[in-house]
This record gives sequence, structure tokens and C-alpha cells, in this order.
Amino acid sequence: MSANAISPAGPSMWQSLIRNEIAVAFAAVLGALIVGLLLIVMIGVPLSDAIGAFLDGAVGSGYAIAASINRAAVFAAVGLGFIFANQANLTNVGGEGQIAMGGIAAAAVALKTPVADLPVGLAFMVPMLAAVIAGAVWGGICGVLKVKVGTNEVISSLLLTFIGIWLLYWSVQSTDLLRQPMTNTATLPETLEIPDATKLPALLDVAGPLNIGLVFVVFLAVIIQLALHQGVLGLRLRAAGLNELASRRAGIPYDRYVVLAMAVAGGFGGFAGAIMLQGDQYVLKDGFTSGYGFDGLVVGLLARGSSIGVVLGALFFGFLRSGGINMEMTAQVPSAVVVIIQGLVIIAIAASGYWLSRNEGKR
Amino acid sequence: MAVAEIAGPAPETESRHAPAGSMLVLECVAKRFGRVQALSDISLNIKSGAVHCLLGENGAGKSTLCNLVFGVHQPDAGTMLFDGKPHAPQGPADALRAGIAMVHQHFSLVPDMTVTENVLLGRTRGLLDRKAWAARIQTLSDEYGLAVDPSALVGDLSVGERQRIEIIKCMIENPRLIILDEPTAVLLPEEIAKLMSVCRSLAARGCAIVLVTHKLAEIKQVADTVTVLRQGRTVATSAEPAKDIQRLVSAMVQRDLASLDVALAGTLGVSEDAAEADDGIREPSLPRGQEAMQLDALTVRDASGVLRVDEVTLTVDRGEIVGVAGVEGNGQTEIGLVLAGLLKPTSGRVFVGGTEATSKSPREITAMGVGIVPEDRHALACISSMSLAENMCLNRLDSFCRFGLLLRGQMEREAAALMTQFDVRADGPRTPFSSLSGGNQQKAVLARELTTDRLLFLLAAQPTRGLDVGAVEAVYKSIGKTCEAGVGVLLISSELDELIAVAHRIVVLYRGRIIGERRALPKFRHDIGMLMAGQQP
Repeated sequence: MSANAISPAGPSMWQSLIRNEIAVAFAAVLGALIVGLLLIVMIGVPLSDAIGAFLDGAVGSGYAIAASINRAAVFAAVGLGFIFANQANLTNVGGEGQIAMGGIAAAAVALKTPVADLPVGLAFMVPMLAAVIAGAVWGGICGVLKVKVGTNEVISSLLLTFIGIWLLYWSVQSTDLLRQPMTNTATLPETLEIPDATKLPALLDVAGPLNIGLVFVVFLAVIIQLALHQGVLGLRLRAAGLNELASRRAGIPYDRYVVLAMAVAGGFGGFAGAIMLQGDQYVLKDGFTSGYGFDGLVVGLLARGSSIGVVLGALFFGFLRSGGINMEMTAQVPSAVVVIIQGLVIIAIAASGYWLSRNEGKR
Repeated sequence: MAVAEIAGPAPETESRHAPAGSMLVLECVAKRFGRVQALSDISLNIKSGAVHCLLGENGAGKSTLCNLVFGVHQPDAGTMLFDGKPHAPQGPADALRAGIAMVHQHFSLVPDMTVTENVLLGRTRGLLDRKAWAARIQTLSDEYGLAVDPSALVGDLSVGERQRIEIIKCMIENPRLIILDEPTAVLLPEEIAKLMSVCRSLAARGCAIVLVTHKLAEIKQVADTVTVLRQGRTVATSAEPAKDIQRLVSAMVQRDLASLDVALAGTLGVSEDAAEADDGIREPSLPRGQEAMQLDALTVRDASGVLRVDEVTLTVDRGEIVGVAGVEGNGQTEIGLVLAGLLKPTSGRVFVGGTEATSKSPREITAMGVGIVPEDRHALACISSMSLAENMCLNRLDSFCRFGLLLRGQMEREAAALMTQFDVRADGPRTPFSSLSGGNQQKAVLARELTTDRLLFLLAAQPTRGLDVGAVEAVYKSIGKTCEAGVGVLLISSELDELIAVAHRIVVLYRGRIIGERRALPKFRHDIGMLMAGQQP
């Protein structure tokens, strides 16, 4: 209304701006960040310190950038799995548990089998494959439960997350499982470091620890984009998700598609666990999953079915996380504030999506 | 804003528009929903003590008009006078207070409660005096011949009886105007007759009755005045409907009756003489004996063990249309689901072209040459938020696929060709399915099912429900052509006239059993009606 009143040229410019999704999302994120900064001012941390620490942690060095991108690759992996299942109207919230299962499987294979002796490529790919299978089983269980007994996949994937996390805890606590040999009372409850041959190769030597996880993720993003939006598979998944009976009537094996969608989502979670273990952490310990499954879920949610959206969102959250961690460590901004800012960003993006669709409806 | 316009008509116009005996006067009423002008420039005069029929096809604006009077929506322009006073209800509660009641198409009754409890729901506070309410209901029931037992459990009652409870719920408010929105759609022939006499007795006591319908027989029986709506406008009125039937129908469908398909005219009820004339002529196009589909003692129990289909044995020959008559909920849905491969029968077998098809997957059944036009289009036949092309090709995506990628262009060309062949009107193959009219949606579903490879048998359940005359005609033509090409058709419908007009023979389904069979001739209408009610003629 007010835009109308200001000038006759107002409405069209205004409308073209609000139709531009990227502009709206950008404005929303900016708004959320400003609120976050106000919050930092309110708790008494000098703004320049906080911003400096944030930038330093996110993009301050080759190492920082590489760490951010590695993190982003994990979020993107979980997010891609999320949008795959979401194409069939399934919501996989079990990324965290699938990461745990992937981590356990990759660590077990890397430490307990002689894969390190395999030729270079296979040495890291076999544990990775084990992780994908473990995650796929974890996700697939939700699909089977849904088609056999009608359990909602949100509930089953969330509950399986708890089981996965406690299995991880158990396997790093028990020397019968994956815990390193106890040499003295100070031996930490974690695994040995995985053999060097099973670690992910670095992508660029110069830029610090950047690993080839990124390459995998970009490749998978292209595949997922094609499969969901250009492929017959994507159309069938969508049909199954929109109308079970009509899709079955049209010859689509609904049950198999539900299990497949959840297994693929879980497989991506397991893959994320593998790149976390083999590309970054190298030892499995309690807290290994770091909440990345939930960050990946948010990335997938905000991407609204687009692979490009997943990659962009993952990069954004990757840098935000890295900056936030540094802000906490060097500028003494409480981690709670960092989490709040992240939450504000999520709400802002989600709200901008709602706002856009509402305006779309009005036109 | 709209309220302000209609709230204050000048006193002198008020008296002019409310002549003696007028109960409800509408003057130049208009209503728009988004881009659709649902009603424009409607003027009506509904008199007390009369039955006023609103006639029109689906989407003509009948329901919108009722909803304006009953306060569900507010008009954009125009004035309404009720009993000489300005009428601008902001909600149904206002309308009820003013003395207007409405019987909706869908009932709002609690099946686990008695009639009395259903009636007193929301009408009483504090202590319940069931006896007093039961007595009031009994009085009303006797007065108007409604034959409702106040202590009966609603779940045990027939659809007709349930409707009469809804009428009692209206009458208990002592209304002066009663709106009945398509009340006969779900009723048996004998129940329709009963409802018509109830309408007459209500009118005789000074009520004004608005009866929304698209059935001409009812108009002949009961109407004092008829208004025909078409595309939101009044296109004809008559104070002597019995004499004007032909003119009213022409106005409703906007074409010359002579050009109507015989079957269609039979369904509309305008050419019963013609239908009588071809008595015995209609025969299957192929000699008997080549079976398209056979049900052998098919039995279905639902999850709670209730018998839904009870040993149904039925053969449909190639080139034959077998009609299934019966009130909805007597097993038709379950038979349809079994034939579609979506429901496993408890026992019994299904054959298609002599090959067993029991418990095969939907994909295998389609491959055997079975097309299904289900009664619930939105649940079974289509995915509304996908495009027209996607919906039309969903069951044969493999032919539009290379290396896993979808050949969208090819799929859209195929859809466009089907659209031309079956006269599906839409902006293009990419249009969202949900934006199509009901008729075009149904034509699209038919197009897909009729072009099933090696089609041998077609199940069409309520294929014309909710469609306008043009679409009904197109559907009949397609089904007829398919049948002539040697496909066996099982036509399930709750409209007896439709079955008599289209089918070769009719079986009647009652409580999951086939309780009788007749040739599809108008002279058997009475027999079939009795069978539908579960009585042997």
C-alpha cells in the first residue's frame, strides 16, 4: 500500500523485487544477522571483536575456508538425502543417527579389517561404502516400518537416531567393540585413529585440509538434481508421495518406492558420517555426530527440493558454523547466542519462503 | 464494504419489492470468487406456501445462491429482502435467527447417537430433557409424515431416513424458508417420492421451499415455480413448469433438445417416450459368449470383518455394457477396488478375458487390458497437483523414458494428441490437473484408461457424476464407442436413469449381494427401484 502511494513506478519495481527469491532470502538472512549482532551487543561483547572473530573463523585463512567447506559438504550430503526422500513426501529427520551408523561402520571397516592394504582408491572407498550401506539400512528400516505397520517416518527416524547415537557411545566405550586398547586410566573412550590410507585424500595441498568429500557431494548433487527433476524416478516418487492409491493404480510399486526413498536418504546420512570420520575427525568418539544431521536436515528443508539450494544452503551454514565456533572461542560469545543466530536465520529463510508463496497467490 | 451496499435499501423500494405473499426477494444480486463471476444480476421472488425449484447444471451458481441466502457467503452487490425486511446475514446463525433453514447435501449427524440426541445437539444447555425433545420430534414427524423414530440409532438408519432427521433439525427451529440443496441425489426412487410429498406438506403450511435440483421428474412432481440458472445468470423462469419442461431444459443446457444424444435425453428425463420406443432394440454389439471379465463368488470383508461384497458372480461379455444399480455403499466401491488391484478379495476369483486376475498387482491388471474409471476421481485416478500431461501418462512412463530421464516433450505431445481426440479442454498439457473443470478432468481420465493397450474391459464407476451436460455426452459417446469396439464395460451408477439409458442389462447390488437382474428397459424401472431398496418385486 505504502509503496503504491510513494510513486507510480513503485509497485512494479517492488513486485519484481519480491518475486526474486534470492533477493528476499538474502534480505531475510541479513535481517536475522542484524538481530544477532544486536544480541551480541546486548551481552556486552564489543561488536568489532565478535565480527572479527566470526570472519576469522569462517574465511580468515586457507585452513578456515577449507574447514568451512568440509563442514558444508557434510551438511549438503544429509540435505541431498533429505530432498530425495522429501520428493516422495517423506521427512527424514534421522540424519544424526544415520551419521552415527555411517561413522561406526566406516571406523569398524577401517580399523578391524585390512582395507588399508588395498590399492589407494579402494582403501578409503570400502569403508565409505560400508558407511553408506549402514546409513541406508538405518533409513530403510523407517521405510519398511511405514509400509508394513504404518509408523510415521518422522517418529521412527527420530527414535532410530537415539538408538544410533547410543550404539556409537557403546562402541567407543567398550574395548570389545571399537574402543582403543586401555593402556592406563587416562585412555580416552574413543577409537584409535584410522589408518592413513583410509583417510580421504586432500583435494588441494595448498589450501589446508580441504578433502575430496566436496567433489563427491557436487557430483551427487548433479545426479540428484537430474533424477528428481528430469528423471522418471523423480516423477514417480512425487506421484507416490502425493497420492498413494492413484500412484499404485498407475502401476507404481508404492511400498518399494517408500523404502527406496528412505534408504537413499539414510545412505546419504551414512555417507556424511564417512566423510566426517575419514576426512576430518579420524577418530570416532562420543559426540562424533556434532548435530550435523540436524543442520543437514535444516539445509534440506530450506532448499525446497532443489539440489542447488542444498549446496548453497550447506555452504552458508558451513561458514556460519565455523565462524560461530571461532566467535565462541576467541570473542567469548556464548555458544547459545551462536545457536540463536542460526535459529533466527532459519526462521527468516522459512518466513521469506512463506511470504513469497503468499504473494504468488495474491497475484 | 459489500455489507454497506446492501444493508440500507430505501424504504420505498422495500415496499415495491415485497408484494403480498413474497417471502424472499432478491434484486440484482452478484457474487464473484476470485476471477470467477459465480452469480450476476440475479433477481428472484420466492413466495410463501410455494415450492420454488432452482434448476441448473453443475457450476451454474445454484449452490452459491443458496449460500448467499443462508449467510455462508455475502453478496458483492444487490439487495435481499426476507419477509419485507432487509436480509444481510453475516453467517448461518443470522439466517437461522431470521427464520431460514437449510438442508445440505452432506449430512452432519453423529451415527453413534440416537435421533433425539442428534437433534438436540447444540440446541440445549444444562440438563437434557430427552423425553420432551423426543416428544417434539414425534410431533413434527407425525405432522409432516416424516416417519422418524426418535429413539433409533442414526447409524442404523437409511440415507433417506437420515435426510429426514436433517429436515426435522430444520423444522424444530420453526423456519419460514427452507432450502434443500440437491436433496434427492442420494435417495432411492421411493424415498424421492416421499420427500416430494414432505415438501408439499411443508408448503401447505405456509413455508417457502427452495429446492435445488437437476432432475426434471421432481420439477414435474412438486414445483410451483422454476428458475433456471446458467453460468450465474437467470436464463428462464416458469410459473407453470409442467407445461414448460422442454423450454426449461433447453435453457439449462443451452441447446436444442433434438440434438441431444438419446441416452443423454433419457438421463435428463426429457425423452422417456423415445426410450420406450427403442424397447428391445438395444443389444450388445457382439454375439454373446466372449467374456471380457468374470467375477466368481467374489467376497470381500473389511478390516473389521464386516461383509462388504457377498459372493458376487457376474460376467461381462465383450461388447456389452452391464449396469450395476444400487444405493451407494452396497459394495460398489469394494468391487471397483478389487478390479483395480488395490484390494485383495477375502475369497472368490476375478478373470479378465478368461485369465485369472485375482490379487494381481495394478500394473499386471493394466497389462491384461483393464481400464478403470473410479468413482472417486481424486483419490484414485489422478494427482491434482501434477500437470495434465503427467497425469495422462503416469501409467506408461516407461515409454517416455531414456536412460532414466523423462522425455517431457514426447510426453506432452502424446498428451496433446489425447486432448484433441477426447476433447479435453485446457490451456495445454502443462496445465495443473487441478485447474481443469470436473468434466475435463473426467475426460482426461477416460482418455488415459480407454487408450490402455489391448483394452478388453472397462470399469466405469459413477463416470458422469458432477459433470455438465456436454461432458456427460462426451463420456457416454466414448464409452459407447469403446463398447462397440468389443470392450466389455461394467458401469456402476447410482442414477437409475443413466443405467437404463446406457446399459444393456442391469444387476442390482444390495448389501453386497446381487439380488436381481433386469434388461435395461424403462418398463423395469419400478422393479429395479424395489430391488435397490432390498425388496423383491
